[in-house]
Amino acid sequence: MANQDKTFNRNILIAVDESENARRAVSYVGQMLGGLEDFRVLILHVVPEPDEDFFRTRDEKEQWLEERKQKVEELLSDHRRMLIESGFDEDRVTTRSTLRYCPSMAQCILEERDDTEYSTIVVGRQGLSRSEEFLFGSISSKIVNHARNCTVWVVE
Amino acid sequence: MEQALQETWSQEDLREMAARWLRPSQVPARFRVHEDTTDFFRVEYDDVVVLDGSPYLVRHNAKEQRFGLDDEVKFWVKRAVDLRTGEPKILKLVFYEKFLSHVGGLEFECYRSPRKEARILDLVAGHPGFMQGHAVADAEGNLIRVLDFIKGRPLSRLITGLDLDHESYFHERLPGVLGRFKEAVEGILFLHENREKHGDIRRDHILVDREDGRYRWIDFDYNYRHRENIYGYDLFGLGNILAFLVGMGDVIVRDLAARDPDALDRLSEDDLNLVFQNRVVNLRKLYPYIPRALNRVLLYFSRGTHVFYEHTSQLVSDLGEVLEAHLPPPRGLDNKGGDHGESG
Repeated sequence: MANQDKTFNRNILIAVDESENARRAVSYVGQMLGGLEDFRVLILHVVPEPDEDFFRTRDEKEQWLEERKQKVEELLSDHRRMLIESGFDEDRVTTRSTLRYCPSMAQCILEERDDTEYSTIVVGRQGLSRSEEFLFGSISSKIVNHARNCTVWVVE
Repeated sequence: MEQALQETWSQEDLREMAARWLRPSQVPARFRVHEDTTDFFRVEYDDVVVLDGSPYLVRHNAKEQRFGLDDEVKFWVKRAVDLRTGEPKILKLVFYEKFLSHVGGLEFECYRSPRKEARILDLVAGHPGFMQGHAVADAEGNLIRVLDFIKGRPLSRLITGLDLDHESYFHERLPGVLGRFKEAVEGILFLHENREKHGDIRRDHILVDREDGRYRWIDFDYNYRHRENIYGYDLFGLGNILAFLVGMGDVIVRDLAARDPDALDRLSEDDLNLVFQNRVVNLRKLYPYIPRALNRVLLYFSRGTHVFYEHTSQLVSDLGEVLEAHLPPPRGLDNKGGDHGESG
């Protein structure tokens, strides 16, 4: 029974965006694990870099990036504060934002995880209708289907 | 992409060239010449646009028909004549726009990009399934697309213009139509394999070439900000065209209620289009001679589906199987357009 030998660390990666379901995922982790020892949390936000065609000029792109950077910093700082208020030590909650071109956001999140030592990914469920899932796709579904060497929690 | 050269043409040169291709009464006495097309409203009939040293005589603005509405004038798209060769061309001047698109109650961010279209024109150069052309910067750096004129009609008009009942259409024309459509889907697969979206897949963005009957995609300057499925919206467009082709037009619930109320009783919500919930896609319930294999492809675009196409290659493969094993061989791929159409 090889699985009996497998060890799971207590590092939790929460992938967030600006949605309410992402906030619920952070809240869930806070409620479940806040105050427990040894857990480490990384709050990750991948900024999807638009196609180069999206911007008319370089200045427009720079402005977009600057605005986005500011929003993301506020978002991550807010989520971090939620976890600390739930009982996490300050030095055990870190944040990371990265700008990437993502044909698939799920793939980008999984690649970010592959570069870290986090055994568990937590995401919020978007609650898409079937037509939205067809047209836009579901990030959480794809993460569940494609994740390897880690556990995925999908927060409703 | 080429850089604009500073080359000027005298009025006499232009008149001489124009006289080669136009009737004497059509040759203007004086030409307004534009090397900067930033304000495309200023570029009018009988003006000359000089791009990379080549003079193009503008004839008129292009129009686009949108689902039974009056033709919409596209002021940034000019039908023109290349004065050096006499060839008809379409000039697409630079027009940026960003907007929220609404489809079946869903909202997503769309934009128009000359750079995207220029890139795709390079990619599909020589590909028979796409409009052809090249991009060239005007004197102000606006990326103008110079497109070959395609003689033919939009696929939408070809199908709705047929004077056939559905069963005759199914047996006589659909195998040929679907054969051509599969080629067109392979064209979209080619884009996707090269990490490009078409961006605005609609039945009036396929022109049926009058010379060889090929279906040719036009208008690649739209783009949308994808979420998880980068090609989901393109696939949705392909599904809509497929249902349109198999149904010999859109089968609208309201029309069906008037035309065939009994058929309506056989339908459930699951039989409707996943997004446009007034269109029937489970067409076998209306036309029982449609093979199950073909209907199964349609059902991937229905409200009742639990599985979606994730990649265009899956649709190509299923259409191939339908054509090979479930439809009679086409009676010649002769579904040619008759009238003039245009790209752009």
